[in-house]
Amino acid sequence: MLRKYRLQLITLAVLAVLFIMAIQGMSAKDGLTIVIRGLSVGAVTFLVASGLSLIFGLMDVLNLAHGTLFMLGAYAGWTIYVRPDTVVDLIPPLALLLVGLVLMPLWPVLLGRLGRMPAAVWGWLGLAMAGVLLLISLPSIPIAAWSARDYAQSPVSYAIMLSQGQLQFPPAEATGPLSPAVALGGVLLAGLVLGGSLTVLSQRHRGMRVRGQATPPQSPPKGRRISLSHWERVGVRATAAGLLLLAGLLVLALNDNLTAWLLGLGTNWLFGLALIGGTLTAAALGGLMEMTLIRPLYDRPIYQLMMTLGLAVVGHELVVALWGRPEFTMPKPALFNGVGDGCPAESWAAWLELHCSTILVLGGRIRVYNEIFLIIVGLVVLVAVSLLLQRSRLGMIIRAGVQDSDMVEALGINVRRVFTLVFALGAGLAGLGGVLAAPSIGLSPLMGESVLLMALIALAIGGLTSFPGAAVGSVLVGLMEQFIIKYGQIGIPLPFLEEPFKPSPTLVPASTVLLMVIILLAMPQGLFGRTE
Amino acid sequence: MSLSAATSSPRTRRWQPYLAPLGLFIGLAALPFVVALLSGQSPAGVLANEAGSAKFIQGLLIEIMILAIVALSYDLVLGITGLLSFGHALFFAAGAYLTGVLLKSFGWSLGATLGLVLVSAVLQALLFGVVLPRVKGITFALVTLGLSEVFYIVVQSRELGQYTGADVGLQGVPPPDFLNPTSHRLTFYLVTLIFTFAVYLFYRLFVDSPTGRVCVAIRENENRALMLGYNTFYFKLVVLVIAAITANLAGTLHALYQPVISPNIASLNAMVDILLMTLIGGLGTLTGAPIGAAIFRLLTFFLDRWFGESASFMLGVVYVALVLFVPYGIVGTWQRRGFHLAAGRRWLLGLLTGRGDG
Repeated sequence: MLRKYRLQLITLAVLAVLFIMAIQGMSAKDGLTIVIRGLSVGAVTFLVASGLSLIFGLMDVLNLAHGTLFMLGAYAGWTIYVRPDTVVDLIPPLALLLVGLVLMPLWPVLLGRLGRMPAAVWGWLGLAMAGVLLLISLPSIPIAAWSARDYAQSPVSYAIMLSQGQLQFPPAEATGPLSPAVALGGVLLAGLVLGGSLTVLSQRHRGMRVRGQATPPQSPPKGRRISLSHWERVGVRATAAGLLLLAGLLVLALNDNLTAWLLGLGTNWLFGLALIGGTLTAAALGGLMEMTLIRPLYDRPIYQLMMTLGLAVVGHELVVALWGRPEFTMPKPALFNGVGDGCPAESWAAWLELHCSTILVLGGRIRVYNEIFLIIVGLVVLVAVSLLLQRSRLGMIIRAGVQDSDMVEALGINVRRVFTLVFALGAGLAGLGGVLAAPSIGLSPLMGESVLLMALIALAIGGLTSFPGAAVGSVLVGLMEQFIIKYGQIGIPLPFLEEPFKPSPTLVPASTVLLMVIILLAMPQGLFGRTE
Repeated sequence: MSLSAATSSPRTRRWQPYLAPLGLFIGLAALPFVVALLSGQSPAGVLANEAGSAKFIQGLLIEIMILAIVALSYDLVLGITGLLSFGHALFFAAGAYLTGVLLKSFGWSLGATLGLVLVSAVLQALLFGVVLPRVKGITFALVTLGLSEVFYIVVQSRELGQYTGADVGLQGVPPPDFLNPTSHRLTFYLVTLIFTFAVYLFYRLFVDSPTGRVCVAIRENENRALMLGYNTFYFKLVVLVIAAITANLAGTLHALYQPVISPNIASLNAMVDILLMTLIGGLGTLTGAPIGAAIFRLLTFFLDRWFGESASFMLGVVYVALVLFVPYGIVGTWQRRGFHLAAGRRWLLGLLTGRGDG
């Protein structure tokens, strides 16, 4: 036992000694504040790093677009939180588009009557047609929007308005020439065409196995031979599509009431909705990404990496185009934003009454949202994902897949579906992290890259495929960062310099990278990595 | 009935691959004069450094060639040797910054600067070499990316601000008089041209040499190369040193040519650009890298003109589409098809002469 983990123990001992040295000259107040801040940064990093580690462990894909998913989650959450009217306006077209995708299983039946699968060209043509339909119809649907260019209408001003409690929205306007009903019909049609073309394309690619050789594409089932169970599945899909259609039209009809209701909810409930919405958006984007862009590349590892790198650039530019380049804030929900008499709260009982934004612990001011709430959420996610991995059937498949995914597939488990699920799960965690981090670090198109760097470092420190490693690595990175920030204020006495060396804030990320390089040089597999 | 290649002696055949580059070299050297003639300027004006389309073309080609050198060196690392390094922007940026700082803040001569750039290039390669035997594959990519990020961060920091210009970038590097890109554009152009082709020819010779063959073997199957008794570490180190020196020198040219050295040349985006150039041309082809650099530069030029703000978005889309649909790049795809063309021609010849057996 001791021999086996010798290297780990030595590293941990060295880290502990360094930690004690770092904390030595400080008062208990400063030390506690730094540790808590480090833990909170670690919690956000962990939300990103955990998804990265699951994805890398199961699929050997290092998703360099994970920071971008974090960012997209944050921006989606911000939109729900600050501009619920836009979201309400967006629901009907989205629901109508989804109807076509939900009805996708109907297409093989229809195409089956043709006798053979159309050539891939028709699939691409269909995709182009759906795109054109969307381009024509979407501008004609009234959607309340902000502007990335005009300052008075920009996210920056809306964030300021919300924090001052005087949010005012312009009415939704359509720019296109079509009537909204026709435009919505166009979107519905676009969804159907999209579903059909995707069916054709996926049938063409069905021959492509996950990591094996390609087999010839299968012909679709003949119309007559379709079993009852297939029809049952189609029935379920049709019901779901009908419900979606109904929901979309209902939201369209009750648009104003719904917006008013959402605005009346108050910031706490809206923030909850933003958390859910941001998570779901990122998860959906992640799942979509895996299904369409990553899946064709499983047998070409380097190209996967390049693909995710390219997607990171595309996502970054998308955010710049939609929300603009300037940084803006997401006001904290009322639960964590109390000010006035009695603040900062001196005890938890006082906090429960006043909901102060800060609380005094051991004489040090601690921000409740940034430092306590984030750590609690991080712990909850850690426990939940650990339980999922250790106790559920899906977790069992994931753990087995990390060990040997070819074997899992040989046992007759649909690994591809698990891949998509895990990708969506990881992306969802990143999105959750994004919404959670937004009130404390603000939103900017650069937030994705910096958090990706942190998460990658945490992952490399902890061992690339190890889930507990991701947690430990994140905490280490967070602590390192906060200590360097603190030393930027008090200075490090160096023997060859007269003045204490004060690293400027821009140097902080460099210190964590150096920590990673040193740990990796000592232990190439990371703290918890497998030795092969 | 014999094809021309069969009759030519082995000696001429050895030189054949270098004929096309030589022709291109002469063509590019003459291009400014041709452009001047076509646009109604006198060719003497090119020598006298007159403003006009000839000067503009030279500037564009200088930029393309600097990018081409970087792409070539990255192709040697990733395409030929199969080392997945994401820290290549470090080599380029370190060369540019070192040149800029030495010329501007310390007033060194160009010769002394070049000497120190070479030394620092070897040191950078050795730094990567320290990491090399310890981490493999994606972890190597991560560590190299981390190292280049450290450079990116340090260059922007306040501490070095008086030398590097922090996040604004290094401005006002004084190039030596005879190589001033504004007053002696043609000299600079020719120097860059000669250097680019020297690098290309050297790389071609290197890849065709026994050492280069071992590097290709490492890319194909490192364990097998180890089993055959090659110490693969030294071969990879040699490749890194060569690539670092070339990329650093490209950085020197960049520092001399550009009015501002932006810290962005060390960022992740710069790395993506280098990857994109190599990918457009085709990984592991060497010829692809300059072609990729040219297409990349022209693409960014026109995307900027057509799409303005969203040019980088379109570039990202192009990149994703390339990875999905044209993974072998232009030259790679061409070579694959060329193979089929050759087979088809042989088949056709056999059919015509009645000697084919189906």
